[in-house]
Amino acid sequence: MGLRKDPRAPHHSHARGGALHAGHAALAAWLVLPLVPLVLWAAADRWTAPAVLPQAWGTAGLRDAVDAGAGTGFLRSTVLGLVVAALATPLGAMAGRALATHRVPLGGAVLAVLLSPLVLPPFAVALGLDVLLLRLGVPSPVGVVLLLTVAALPYTTVLMRAAYAAHDRGFEDEARTLGATARQTVFHVQLPLLAPALAGAAFLAFLVGWSDYVVTLLVGGGQLVTLPLLVASAAAATGNEAQVAVLSLSSVLPPLVLLVAVGLVGRRARA
Amino acid sequence: MAAGRRRSITAGAALLALAGCAAPSSEAPEAADRPWDDVLAEADGQTVDLWMYGGDEAGNAYVDDVLAPAAAGLGVTVRRVPVADTGDALDRVLSERQAGVTDGEVDLVWVNGENYATGRQAGAWLCDWALDLPNREHTDPDDPLLENDFGVPVEGCESPWHKAQFTLVYDSARVPEPPTTLAGVLDWAQANPGRFTYPAPPDFTGSVFVRQVLSSVAAGPGEVPLEYSQEAYDEYAPALFDRLAELDPALWRGGETYPQSQQELDRLFADGEVDMTMTYGPATLTDLVADGTVPPTTRVLTLEEGTFGNASFLAIPSTSGDAAGAQVVADLALSPEQQVAKADPGTWGQFTVLDLERLDEADRAAFEQLPASPVVPPYEELSQNAQAELSADWVGPLDEGWRRSVLAP
Repeated sequence: MGLRKDPRAPHHSHARGGALHAGHAALAAWLVLPLVPLVLWAAADRWTAPAVLPQAWGTAGLRDAVDAGAGTGFLRSTVLGLVVAALATPLGAMAGRALATHRVPLGGAVLAVLLSPLVLPPFAVALGLDVLLLRLGVPSPVGVVLLLTVAALPYTTVLMRAAYAAHDRGFEDEARTLGATARQTVFHVQLPLLAPALAGAAFLAFLVGWSDYVVTLLVGGGQLVTLPLLVASAAAATGNEAQVAVLSLSSVLPPLVLLVAVGLVGRRARA
Repeated sequence: MAAGRRRSITAGAALLALAGCAAPSSEAPEAADRPWDDVLAEADGQTVDLWMYGGDEAGNAYVDDVLAPAAAGLGVTVRRVPVADTGDALDRVLSERQAGVTDGEVDLVWVNGENYATGRQAGAWLCDWALDLPNREHTDPDDPLLENDFGVPVEGCESPWHKAQFTLVYDSARVPEPPTTLAGVLDWAQANPGRFTYPAPPDFTGSVFVRQVLSSVAAGPGEVPLEYSQEAYDEYAPALFDRLAELDPALWRGGETYPQSQQELDRLFADGEVDMTMTYGPATLTDLVADGTVPPTTRVLTLEEGTFGNASFLAIPSTSGDAAGAQVVADLALSPEQQVAKADPGTWGQFTVLDLERLDEADRAAFEQLPASPVVPPYEELSQNAQAELSADWVGPLDEGWRRSVLAP
C-alpha cells in the first residue's frame, strides 16, 4: 500500500522464475481444462461416442437454453447475487470490524454463531426455516434474500475481519487530526484502503446468491426460476448435454469476469 | 422421483422441527362439490404453477407450446416450474402445509408412486375432484392403472395424465439376437461379461428393474403379492438377491460399481460401454434416436412375460390457492385433443390414459392416425401382459435388501 519495495529483497533468479511460470501455467490449465469439453458440448448439435470431436456443430444447445428461459434466469440470478452481495458485504464489514478490534464480549462465541451457516446442511436450513418464514407470512423473495444473506455472512465476516486486523488505524487517526469528519474518514480513507477486501467479500457473497438451488427453489416457492434451477432440471436427464453446457457456461462466465474485476481492484489498490 | 428415502426423512424432519406447533391433520382436504361451470368461472384469471420434472425437453415444450396456450384460451395462465426432482415440489407443499398456508405457490404437480404416497400420508393432496372432471368420462373406470398408483388408491386425489411401461432397450447392431424374457436377459448378461448393468437402487429405474427381476425369479408375474408383508418378503426376496449377486461379477466393471441413475446408464449405453439400457418412460427414446444421442439401431426389447406398467398423474396440493384453475388445467390435459397431441411421437409421445372405445369417431380416428415412432412400438404391443406395480411399501425394503445383499455383501 504505497510502500516502496525493499531494495534489499533478493530478485528472483531465472530458475525460480521459470518454476513459478510453470506453476502458474499448470494452475491455469487446471482451471481452464474442465471448461474445454463444456465449450465443445455447447456448440455440438451431435456428439456421439466414440468420436473425439462433435460430428455436427450448431446452436441447438443455445436455442434449447433460451427456450428453457435462460435469459430471464440469467437476469434473476444476477439480481439475486447483487442483492445478497449488497446486504452481506456491509453487514460482514461491520461484524468483521467489531470482531477485529476486540470490542465484542465473547468474540469467539459470536464468531462461531456467524460461521454456523457453514456447518449446517443448506437443505436442512431451507426446509426448517421455510415453515417458519411461511408462518410469519414473509414474502418468498424476501425470505430467499434473507436466508442467502445469512449464508453469505460467514464469508464476508471472516474476510473483513482479517482485513480490519491488518488495517492500520493510524491512517484514520491522522485524517481526523488533519480535520476530516468521521464521515469523510470512512469514505475517503478507510473504504479506499479496504477496497480490495470489500471487493473480495462482495464477490463471495454474490456467488452465494448466484449459485444457490435449494433455498431459491424451496423458500422462493418456484417464483424465482434462476440459472441454477434451470441447470439442475436440465441436467437431470441424458440427451440435454448441449443445453446444459450452454447453461453452465452462462453460470461460469459472470463469476469469472467478476473475479478478474476483483483482481484488478486489488492490483490497483496495491499499485 | 428417485429420492423417496430423502423425502421421508425430510417429512420426518419437518414434523420434528415443528413438534410443539399445531400439527396439520393428515386428513386430505376435499374440494367443494359444485357445478363445473362454477369451477370454470372461478378459474378465469388464475395463474397455475405447474411444478414438474424439467429434464424432459419434449415434455417442457409440450407444456409451454401446446397445453399452456390452450389453457390461456380458458382464461388460465400456466406457469411451468422446472425441478430436478419431483420431491422438491413435495418438500415445498409439506412446508406450506406445516405452516397452514392456504394460498401456496404450488398448484399442480406431475407426480406418481412414492411422492404421491408420501403426500397422501401427510394430507398434502386435495381430494375428491379428479373423478368429477368432465373429460374423465373418456377413461375406463375399471382401468387398474388409474385406480391405484403403486398400490395407493387414487380416489379422485390426482387426475391421470399418461401411461408408461417399464422397457428394456438394446442396440440391435450389438445384440443381433436379443433374449425374449427377463430370465433370458440375465443369462445373456452373464454370457457377455461387462456388457450389462443397471442403476443402483434407490434410483427409480434401478429399483423397478430389481422388482422386475423379483417377479421373474418368483416363477412369473402374479406370483408375488402386490401388498407388502414381511412373510412375502422373506419368501421371495432371497431368491432375487441370490440371482442378482450371482450376476454381479458379470456386470459392467465386474459389478464393482453401478451407475447412480438411469441417466448414467443411458450415457454408458450412448457411449457403447454397455449394450442395453432401461427406462420407465420410453416416450423419450424417439427423440434420443432422432438427435443422435443413442445409435439409430436402438430398439425396444419386449418381454414375453410383460413388464410393469404405471400411470402418472396431475395432483393439486391441498395448500393451492388456485385449485379451480388447477382443476381446469387437469381437465384440459385429459381432453382428447390434448391427449392426442401429447401422444404424437413428434410432440412428446406419451401414451394416452383415455379408453379409445369411449371416444367419438373423430377423436378415435385422430389417435389411430398418429404417426408411429420408428423406435417405440405402440402401447398395445408394449403393454402386452402388463403387470401391476407392487405396492410402494415393497420399494424401501427391496432397495435396502439390495444394498446389503448385492452391493456390499
